[in-house]
Amino acid sequence: MTGGAPAVRARGLRKAYDGIVAVDGVDFTVQRGECFGFLGPNGAGKTTTMKMIYGLARVGDGSLEVLGLDVASNRRAVKARLGVVPQEDNLDRDLTVGENLLVHAGYHGLAGPLARARRDELLAFADLEARADADVRELSGGMRQRLLIARALVNRPELIVLDEPTTGLDPQARRSVWNVLAGLREQGVTFILTTHYMEEAARLCDRLVIMDRGHVVEEGPPAELTARHAQPDLEGVFLALTGHGLDG
Amino acid sequence: MGDLVLPSVRDALRVWRRNARVFSHVWKGALLPLFLDPLFYLVSLGFGLGTYLATVNGIPYREFIAPGLCASAVMWAASFETTWNTFYKMAESRQYDAVLATPVEPEDLVLGELLWAATRALVYGTVFLLVVALLGLVSSWWVIALPPFLLLGGACFAACGLAYTSLIPKMDYYTFYFTLWVTPMFVFGGIFYPYDRLPDWAQAAAWLTPLYHLVNISRDLATGPDALAVLGNAAWLLVATVALFFAIPARVMRRRLVA
Repeated sequence: MTGGAPAVRARGLRKAYDGIVAVDGVDFTVQRGECFGFLGPNGAGKTTTMKMIYGLARVGDGSLEVLGLDVASNRRAVKARLGVVPQEDNLDRDLTVGENLLVHAGYHGLAGPLARARRDELLAFADLEARADADVRELSGGMRQRLLIARALVNRPELIVLDEPTTGLDPQARRSVWNVLAGLREQGVTFILTTHYMEEAARLCDRLVIMDRGHVVEEGPPAELTARHAQPDLEGVFLALTGHGLDG
Repeated sequence: MGDLVLPSVRDALRVWRRNARVFSHVWKGALLPLFLDPLFYLVSLGFGLGTYLATVNGIPYREFIAPGLCASAVMWAASFETTWNTFYKMAESRQYDAVLATPVEPEDLVLGELLWAATRALVYGTVFLLVVALLGLVSSWWVIALPPFLLLGGACFAACGLAYTSLIPKMDYYTFYFTLWVTPMFVFGGIFYPYDRLPDWAQAAAWLTPLYHLVNISRDLATGPDALAVLGNAAWLLVATVALFFAIPARVMRRRLVA
């Protein structure tokens, strides 16, 4: 009975760590099939919001439904249907590239020929077939990121959460990640991504929210936001809304 | 918050399988050092010092310490696995964050690590047992029943290691764990001399450590069993493992990993 529910629905979502408020009462709804962005500087509360969605942070206050389920009381069921690309590379460094996919499939309950088929398919998808037996420590930054994205797809997720998917990558690697994401988008996959690159937000997102200091300060499609605020780009929109730039 | 969350054994075994896969790559290099350690003690004390001693409780000295060293191989293996190795996965490579983004929950993860550490400890203990048996230092066929108890003992040491790991902020704190807990057990746990001559308070203190119980089980089965004593010691290990697992690592890891 959760097929028609939005991908994510947050109401009055709030989270504090040790008295410091990271997310301060945000509302947003992500529809199925859309690419939804969170644009904002470091410390805006984007990562904390993502972690609440994929179960690495407890919901502080308010409500958070993912794929029609309350995350606080359906952790396993929600996580089974998500794919997560974390901000920091957390690949398993004791395993090869192929084993990373295989073992992750195992955590999702896939085993045997099915898991191996999924691994082979994703190695091809991430253009890493030639590196299947390589140590993950030998991969370049762009390859690691593609492997992280491939790993997130191992359970055929209904929703993919990407936290700063291109931060720290060189321009060429960033473009290769963008191509991968654009391919997923054409397949109609729902994804949520955070970024502090306005170009990335404008390029990949159907709709986005701008976050600053734990609050959502604006919401809409990128082109509509620039028009609404009469700005040449999203950076200008952000500056107009907050009085400071995306770097600070 | 304080609710008791039962782990899923199925998900714990998925974590176990990952570790078994890694071990299958590295076992040749990893097995030898930890296994040589008790062998050196056996040679230096059993075959060196032991030649100056007649018997302990009617048993030749080297036969007296061999089963205890088997228990200590279990202790060291489970302790290394649940300290340095676990902390690395939790805080350095952050791979626990990746595991927890799947249906696996913190309690499953901790149980999987515990079962794996116990398995690895069983491998080390059993290999050492085979060596001492080949050296003719085992006088009872009952020793064949020892491996399941080595697994249980390994689980108990693993619960201790995971409890400590869940509580410490950085790796430097392991110095205290080994200096103030593992090494004293090794030296005072009844491997090298019998306990019945020590003062009551020392016997009481030893009773509180897992190694004391595992050494007693090993020696009982290697030299001719006292079934009741074996079961009593095994019950201690089982109760301590389960109680500790739920009291500390399962709960603390959830709070730590799901902030």
